[in-house]
Amino acid sequence: MLFNSIEFLLFLPTVFFLYWFVFKNQLRAQNVLLLVASYIFYGWWDWRFLSLIIASTFLDYFIAIQLGKTDVSKKRKFLLGISLVGNLGMLGFFKYYNFFVTSWIEAWSSVGITMEASTLNIILPVGISFYTFQTLSYTIDVYRKEMQPTKSFIDFAAFVTFFPQLVAGPIERASHLLPQFYKNRTFDYQNAVDGVKLIIWGMFKKVVVADNCAFFVNKIFENPEAYSSGELFVGMVFFAFQIYGDFSGYSDMAIGISKLFGFDLMVNFKFPYFSRDIAEFWRRWHISLSTWFRDYIYIPLGGSKGSQWFQIRNVMIIFLVSGFWHGANWTYVAWGLFHALLFLPLLLFNLNRSHLITKSYGWLDFAKIGVTFLVVCIGWVFFRADSISDAFQYLAHMFELKSLGLSLFYKTNANLMIFGLSVLAVGILSLQELFWVIKKRDLPKISAFGALLLVLLIFFMGSFKNQMDFIYFQF
Amino acid sequence: MRKFITKIALYTFFILLIGNGIAFLSLYVLGKSQLYKNQFVKNGVKEKRFDYVVLGSSTGLTTLDTKLIDKTLNTSGLNISMDDTSLSSHYLMLQYFLSLGKTTDQLILCVTPGDLQNPVNELNNNDYRFLTEVQDTLVYNYYDKMEQNGLKVLTYSKFMPILGVSYYNNELFYSSIYAFLKPTKRNRFDEKGNYTYPQIANHIEKGIDTNIETSYLNPSFLKIKKLCKQKGIDLIVYQSPIHRKNVIFPNTKDFKIINHSTILPEELFYDNIHVNSKGRTFCTLAFCKEIKNP
Repeated sequence: MLFNSIEFLLFLPTVFFLYWFVFKNQLRAQNVLLLVASYIFYGWWDWRFLSLIIASTFLDYFIAIQLGKTDVSKKRKFLLGISLVGNLGMLGFFKYYNFFVTSWIEAWSSVGITMEASTLNIILPVGISFYTFQTLSYTIDVYRKEMQPTKSFIDFAAFVTFFPQLVAGPIERASHLLPQFYKNRTFDYQNAVDGVKLIIWGMFKKVVVADNCAFFVNKIFENPEAYSSGELFVGMVFFAFQIYGDFSGYSDMAIGISKLFGFDLMVNFKFPYFSRDIAEFWRRWHISLSTWFRDYIYIPLGGSKGSQWFQIRNVMIIFLVSGFWHGANWTYVAWGLFHALLFLPLLLFNLNRSHLITKSYGWLDFAKIGVTFLVVCIGWVFFRADSISDAFQYLAHMFELKSLGLSLFYKTNANLMIFGLSVLAVGILSLQELFWVIKKRDLPKISAFGALLLVLLIFFMGSFKNQMDFIYFQF
Repeated sequence: MRKFITKIALYTFFILLIGNGIAFLSLYVLGKSQLYKNQFVKNGVKEKRFDYVVLGSSTGLTTLDTKLIDKTLNTSGLNISMDDTSLSSHYLMLQYFLSLGKTTDQLILCVTPGDLQNPVNELNNNDYRFLTEVQDTLVYNYYDKMEQNGLKVLTYSKFMPILGVSYYNNELFYSSIYAFLKPTKRNRFDEKGNYTYPQIANHIEKGIDTNIETSYLNPSFLKIKKLCKQKGIDLIVYQSPIHRKNVIFPNTKDFKIINHSTILPEELFYDNIHVNSKGRTFCTLAFCKEIKNP
């Protein structure tokens, strides 16, 4: 079920009504309701997907219970190993099996050895990377004795499947979200109002910014040779806004919907395109994933301690894994590598934490923001292209600067209209976020009038006819 | 909670009020313009009686030039074709044309073989253009019948115009602003309803000569035939050229068929199913010849 669908428009008020009116002050019943609602929400795509998430839930629930019962190090490691193998095994099979098989065959064929192997017709379950990481965080935290295992299966299952953030995050830590299922939740007017405003803002980013930009992005990336350098440049910038509007829009909606039910989710994006270097970008972009990698991979590997070679190794691992997490394609690995190469000089010269404190922004900061944005955009070409060679061709053609013509955008009335809407949408988004950045805010703050205006903009600028799926669902 | 629900209800009401107000105005302005074909027929065509009208989709719009026909045959005709539509929309357009009190002696129905034998009618891409007339039972019933799945945005626009106007915002909302600024502007067709593709032939995909057999299974075609009979209109079925395709029609005495599927040299095509401007003249003159000497 998509947030921007008619089904969800009926689903959300129904669950909200049952939650606050029928099961008011009944914690257990509310959690059961959230669990059932989440299963319906997830099963709406394909009911068969439910078997995986239920299996993952059972696995980590029982492993954690067993971990809570023993202090024997070997046994604890064994239990953790079962959880890792089980969860990552499912993820690996459904997401990466075909990729590994074809990559293996291609690798051998490149040295002249022909091999035959069959790939499987596997459907990638929506959001598998998100909920796998979420359940793993629970087991690892219990293993580290950073939290107690829960005895309530319902609470745990509701935490794993919590529908607002189930399929595209934020990837919540068990230590943050799970305890919220234990506590009685009372309706907070201001929290709910803030939630509605966030939903509206997220919807604007998705339906107006991302989906309008997607119209040209899809055309241009489908056949980049057919377009001028100018058009390729715009296509690249539009994709940067498409993926940002799409993904952060979903996160905003997830946080907003959670607020309606009295839950608090972590902030996932802090206006990342106003970063002054790549290190700051990664502190502002998909925060729930980057902090997950930091806490469960980077720091256990030694983090920034040890020799420079260790540091370089750890950074390379973290970015490559991050890239690979996104999808079974070398383009994502290349995207991760690209960011690693941009990050390493900052780390080596100890500049990676220069923008931790948000002071006032000067002209130099804005120049840095511009440069960082352009570099990030170049990285997105790898992310969006079908193959690494396609990405290089795209960039080569763009930097040839043979033609700067933009005729694609005014070739037909429809194109001109959608181009105008896309530019306007990107402009509104950028100016609004610039205002928040200058005001040193981490989350959007919207007035009642602003929210009303945004709803009208969604109606009259939204791309409903060319509606796109959320990009991150495929991850 | 009470305060929250009240405020949400209030704001929703307020948004729907403003949104529907804007959408209503948008449809009103568009309805007074000549931008799309149905608005043109209503607001831009003063004549009530025609010797013939050409009705079809993009092939109808671009193959027969009513100006040339009128000049050659000394007649009065109008092209009421609309691109990206099919027989179901043609039936709606014919009904709409007649409901405006206009009449015609002949209907030249431009068909495509696939559409003619398609037993299932669905909503067409440009049917939204009739949304300005959604209060008309004719249009409302059409939308109601054609919109089968999901939220019936066009149908329910009768009560909530924001549904259709926001769904088709590029095509309706922004077009209405344009129509407000230029109320007599037409969407690419001339004062007789014709449109032509340019004098180039670069979109043709090579193929081999093939016969295509068609049949009269489309329920809308049968309705058009029935309506013509009721209104005393002569029905002429016209098949425009298709690159390297010979369309074979089942024999019938119910209406005249002019089949031009194979008459056009390759250089007069714009693409595989459309003619260029020279091709249009070629086809129109051939059409006139057949009308003169049946």
